[in-house]
Amino acid sequence: MASGEIFFEHERWGPSLARSAALHLGFVLAIVLYGWLGGRGGGSNWGAGGGGDAMGVNLVANIPLPANPAPTENVLATESKGVSKSEPKPQVEEPQAIPIPERNAKKKPVPRTSETERKPPPQPTTEATNVVPFGQGGPVAGPYAMFAAGAAKGGFGFTGGGGDFGSRFSWYVRVVNQKVSENWLKYEVDPRIQSANRVYVTFDIERNGHPANIRIEQSSGVPSLDMSALRALERIDTFGPLPSDYSGSRVSVEFWFDYKR
Amino acid sequence: MWARSPFARISTATATLLLLVCLPAFAQDWIKTGTGLGVEKVRIAVPDFKASNQDPRNPELLKTFNDTLWNDLKNAGIFDMVSKSFYPLGQVGAPADVKFDSWSSPPPNAAMLVFGNLQTSGNNAVVQGWLYDVKNTSSPQVLGKQYTDTATTQAVRIIAHKFADEIIFRLGGGVNGIAETQIYYVSARGGRKEIWGMDYDGANQHAITTIGSLSLSPHISPDGSRLAFSSFTGASWEIKMFSFDLNRLVAFPRFGATNLTPAWSPDGARLAFSSSRAGAPEIYVVDQSGGNLHRVTNSRGPNVSPVWNRKTGTEIAFVCRRGDLPQICTMGSDGTNVQQMTDQGYAVSPSWSPNGQFLVLSWMRHYGPGAPGAEDIYIMDVATKRFVQLTHDGGRNDFPSWAPDNRHIVFQSNRSGSLQIWSMLADGSEQHQLTTSGSNSEPDWSWK
Repeated sequence: MASGEIFFEHERWGPSLARSAALHLGFVLAIVLYGWLGGRGGGSNWGAGGGGDAMGVNLVANIPLPANPAPTENVLATESKGVSKSEPKPQVEEPQAIPIPERNAKKKPVPRTSETERKPPPQPTTEATNVVPFGQGGPVAGPYAMFAAGAAKGGFGFTGGGGDFGSRFSWYVRVVNQKVSENWLKYEVDPRIQSANRVYVTFDIERNGHPANIRIEQSSGVPSLDMSALRALERIDTFGPLPSDYSGSRVSVEFWFDYKR
Repeated sequence: MWARSPFARISTATATLLLLVCLPAFAQDWIKTGTGLGVEKVRIAVPDFKASNQDPRNPELLKTFNDTLWNDLKNAGIFDMVSKSFYPLGQVGAPADVKFDSWSSPPPNAAMLVFGNLQTSGNNAVVQGWLYDVKNTSSPQVLGKQYTDTATTQAVRIIAHKFADEIIFRLGGGVNGIAETQIYYVSARGGRKEIWGMDYDGANQHAITTIGSLSLSPHISPDGSRLAFSSFTGASWEIKMFSFDLNRLVAFPRFGATNLTPAWSPDGARLAFSSSRAGAPEIYVVDQSGGNLHRVTNSRGPNVSPVWNRKTGTEIAFVCRRGDLPQICTMGSDGTNVQQMTDQGYAVSPSWSPNGQFLVLSWMRHYGPGAPGAEDIYIMDVATKRFVQLTHDGGRNDFPSWAPDNRHIVFQSNRSGSLQIWSMLADGSEQHQLTTSGSNSEPDWSWK
């Protein structure tokens, strides 16, 4: 009955308890002593500068970051008054909760930071009285146009310049529409796919008409459909040079493809 | 090489019976489909240009100009031409004359308006032309041009071609128009087969060579300065070279035996052709000067009619022998990676599209006893080998060649009773006969 002996054995733990208490007391005393002695020593002037080999850091009132560029007379923003005026979006705090997107809803695009795509700084609001108020006239917003090819269709929006490219050069928009749609070969899509989510492709059109920066902005979830949309654009050498009286260096296009067999 | 008449060995009675059996097949409806032509054509109105002064030559020049401009835009394949009976009254000669509402709303319902005026003074004709987006009243002008040239119908025709090409370039997505392109072909109208040239619309037909022998398969260089063709010298078929800069034949090496169908690489530095100098016809490549000859095919049987991929210059399509019948194959320009593109019937005369995506070919898909034997033009997507038939029921159609705009194809056909040159859009629509006199064959469309 070896296991039973454990319970009947008298363990002598009194001396061990005493040693443990003494050790803990010693630790506490050592910490207190260290703090008291250390506070009296020369270690308190660290970071104050001039102390031995330590590096000095001096606080300054503010960090001299490069100043914001002065508001320029940007022709992209002011070339044409048009019938409407693009106003800067009011700063809205992003809500913490992220809403669940709808089936065909487009995800929020990644903000672009390149110089050419930056919005011009807000202008003073003293405008002529004959300007149509914001939102009451001018070009339509959102997908600029749509096309249908067979059972499939697509659409797109233009950004760039003063924001009125689509209304000033609607003939060019039509060219882009036609060129993309005629280069979209729907037989490249997996034949088992009956319908799919919308795929968004964005690209830039450079001054000479070449498409650049072609990328999927939002996938449809069907790789073959994404590829067919990308390849439609990659097949295109040029859309033709941008209109000669357009002063920007490029326009950005967002093109969406809906596929339904 | 190959016997091209499947009925030759069949008795007349059997042939007649076969013909009767096959007649219902010819009468069916066709669904035209194709690629590369877009989904929606631009609706464009082209009222006659206005004379801006009183000159006795104006009516003739204006008629030439207006007809040429109308036909160029109509043939472009990207416009829906608004019928002139829908136009509002009054001539439009200058921007101040444009009444936007009357053009942009029905009945014309035009998206684009082409207008302008012509003025003749002294020896010169001055043409001003505009292209307006009439649905966009705030900034309608897409194009405004002024041309000055001598006051002849030929010069005015060229002005109309140039203006049409500008419009097509703008509205066709940066693809140059073909109104100033040329077509080279073989014509026997002088008794001997010589190389001829003409404008893309069949105008201005003229002989280029006067060798007095047999000349075949003209191919113009990418820069348009030289024309390679093959000609019978009495002992052999040799590659000949005509220079448009010198306006005469220039020296080119003789290779012996039968050398046919010279084809230019897209950089203009090399020529591929078929030569039987080593027995069966094989494909050879030489420099544009004729040097550095080397053979690129070595499979058994004839390999002929090479054409380069006009986009990449790294591949060659050619007619290869598979079984007893000719088929279309492709290979790298060094002879590697041979792939068969067709696997049935009798396929010849490949031509690669300028964008590199398609082959156009002449194909008897059902060949042999009991088959109709119709030879038609097809285009084939090189990547997928899918094909679309472009001509139907129209005799024997052969030797297709792409236009540089990727939208037009020229070919020969005997549907009118004699062998003539025809052109069509790359979806098979808008088929037009370009030549009428004599026998004309083997067209080749210039590169620009």
